[in-house]
Amino acid sequence: MGKYFSKDKWKYMLYTVSHPMDGYYWIRHADRGSVPLAILMVILFAVSFSANRLLASFVVNDIDPRAVDSLYELMGVLAFYLILCVSNWSVTCLMNGEGRMKDIAIAVGYGTVPITVMMTVSTIISQVIADDEQAFYGLLLGAGIVYGLIMILIGIMQVHNYTLGKTLLTLFITFIALLIIIFLMLLLSNLIGMVVNFFKSIYTEIIFRT
Amino acid sequence: MKKMTKLKKMLSLCLTAVVLAFTASDVASASTLPYDSYNYDYREYIHFTPAPYVPSGSITGSSFTYNGEPLGNFVNPQDMCQADDGNIYIADTGNNRIVVLDKKMKNVVNVITAFDNNGTEDTFNMPYGVAVSENGQVYVADSQNHRVVVLEKDATLVKIVENPKSESLDDNYVFTPLKVTVDYADRIYVIAQNMFEGIMVFESNGNFSSFFGTIKVEITLWEKFWKRLATKEERSKQQLYIPTEFTGIDIDPSGFVYATNIDSTGVQGVRRLNPRGEDVIKKGQNKNVGGDLWISGTSDYAGPSQFTDIVYRENGIYSCLDRKRGRIFTYDHEGNLLYIFGGLGTQEGTFFMPVAIEDIGGSLVVLDATGASIVCFEETEYGRLINEAVALRYDGDETQAVDLWQRVLELDENNELANTGIGKAYLTAGDYVNAMKYLKLGMSREYYSIAYRRYRNSKLTQNANYILTGVVILIVVYQIVKRVVKKKKEQAARERVQKGGSQNG
Repeated sequence: MGKYFSKDKWKYMLYTVSHPMDGYYWIRHADRGSVPLAILMVILFAVSFSANRLLASFVVNDIDPRAVDSLYELMGVLAFYLILCVSNWSVTCLMNGEGRMKDIAIAVGYGTVPITVMMTVSTIISQVIADDEQAFYGLLLGAGIVYGLIMILIGIMQVHNYTLGKTLLTLFITFIALLIIIFLMLLLSNLIGMVVNFFKSIYTEIIFRT
Repeated sequence: MKKMTKLKKMLSLCLTAVVLAFTASDVASASTLPYDSYNYDYREYIHFTPAPYVPSGSITGSSFTYNGEPLGNFVNPQDMCQADDGNIYIADTGNNRIVVLDKKMKNVVNVITAFDNNGTEDTFNMPYGVAVSENGQVYVADSQNHRVVVLEKDATLVKIVENPKSESLDDNYVFTPLKVTVDYADRIYVIAQNMFEGIMVFESNGNFSSFFGTIKVEITLWEKFWKRLATKEERSKQQLYIPTEFTGIDIDPSGFVYATNIDSTGVQGVRRLNPRGEDVIKKGQNKNVGGDLWISGTSDYAGPSQFTDIVYRENGIYSCLDRKRGRIFTYDHEGNLLYIFGGLGTQEGTFFMPVAIEDIGGSLVVLDATGASIVCFEETEYGRLINEAVALRYDGDETQAVDLWQRVLELDENNELANTGIGKAYLTAGDYVNAMKYLKLGMSREYYSIAYRRYRNSKLTQNANYILTGVVILIVVYQIVKRVVKKKKEQAARERVQKGGSQNG
């Protein structure tokens, strides 16, 4: 436990946020990152995401609270994180990427930190803003999201030792791979459901006959 | 002893069950209306409301006698109109006559079946629409005779409007008027069959002047894209993009024309046309004046509302009649839905085929073509409160409307208009806490924001002393802590140097 969440790992994560180029390089080459910490960051991101949707003040928040299910959203974010990492890994494996699965997981997980922070800050700020100050809220949130996306981009680039162009290309292919994975999973679950139904109907048939 | 308590328990349980059953049946019998009354809230959820209007009887033609003879049932009546003197004119289309009832719809005042047309007796053929001008002249859309007949009250002919000629009309155009209305300057507005260009306007002398309120066809980018891909043959088989026809028409005292049309998207079923023919309607917070919002589905009962007639009532309130589901939608001048009621069916208070709506002395009256009857609705406490409160707001007396809105809330807690109305009044009165509470319940983000800003600023100025003192104290404490830490660090460094020195030595 101490090893994954040691003070050093936390400090290095913050260093990565402020120096993404350098930070991600040593995560790949000197194992300075921590996968459990990255997963924790993703969980915190999901929590802050739901919190923003539920708790941001009425002035800026047009979301129907009945439509927010934080547990469901947490599951969704984690599933998306998993599929994103898997699809990126499978694509970069074929495209001379140097990154390991854990590097990708850390790159994406640490990339959510600025988003989480800014989302929380803007949720708090939203409590004290009125009509024409909405721009501040939007600016904070937007800045966090843009910085987070840039961090993820740099992270993917550094752990695989890619050029920017190639990173963008692989990210595009990753996106397609992601869709394919989702499609296959739906297909699989559907087919399994059919098989299960088949055996169920055989079972009921036998029960009724005897 | 133990048994006794058990028995007692059983007894009390039975009693509770009985009492509950009775109260439950009481609640169930509270609504004996043949329709639901509801409204859509900010999130477009349906919330059921008390009935704003309840049926107060229906009138058929056979209940009347005229000049000692029975009037006989209406046959497929299509239009209804109230004159300024209170008489009600009914276009009894299938019987080719205009029936005039008195204000209370108890007696027949007149039946117009024929008129004197320059010496020869002339009759109607399927009179589809009827309107009465401010000076009491009767305008009849005589559809199958292809003309609009203008008569005095006593059925003497004033003029006949027929065969309109214009550059913008085809030479072989057949004029088939369906609905007609007339404004304060005796200009005639006619909705004609198969006339997609808009409402036809005739000058008071009967000359065709122009089209009015043309509905523009909107083709989406997607449809354009498919059109580009399609071959000529395919294109000829696709449906034509023609604008919808108007279905009903009414005019308000200041000369704005309210006209309904069938909108296949269910967004805008009514237009408010200014004297230049431009649509100036306000669509309210849901950006919709098309009736029902929940219209998805594939059954016959699904699909957008089809407004067939409209009545401008007063104070900016207008009611539209939906022939699809037989509901009456009432909007205020800002396009907010006030209430919805009515339905199709065979029970008293429902319609087979509603075609026309009119406001007669505060009660709403609907003409049912297939049922050949006039269905009347009278307003309830709930409906009256809303009507009056909206009227006060229309006049700008929002503070006076508060009492009424409070009573609306007693009947219907979730009424957003009432909450917003109360909130706005509190805002003007300077009670920001209550204003915020009610404006949030009314989902009025704009005014909530204003209330919150004033509340925050007043709190800030009230507590400016404490806040400034706090800031000063924080700065001082920060400086002190900084110095102490610095000193400690220096001391530690000095000690280390000394230690190092002693070790080296």
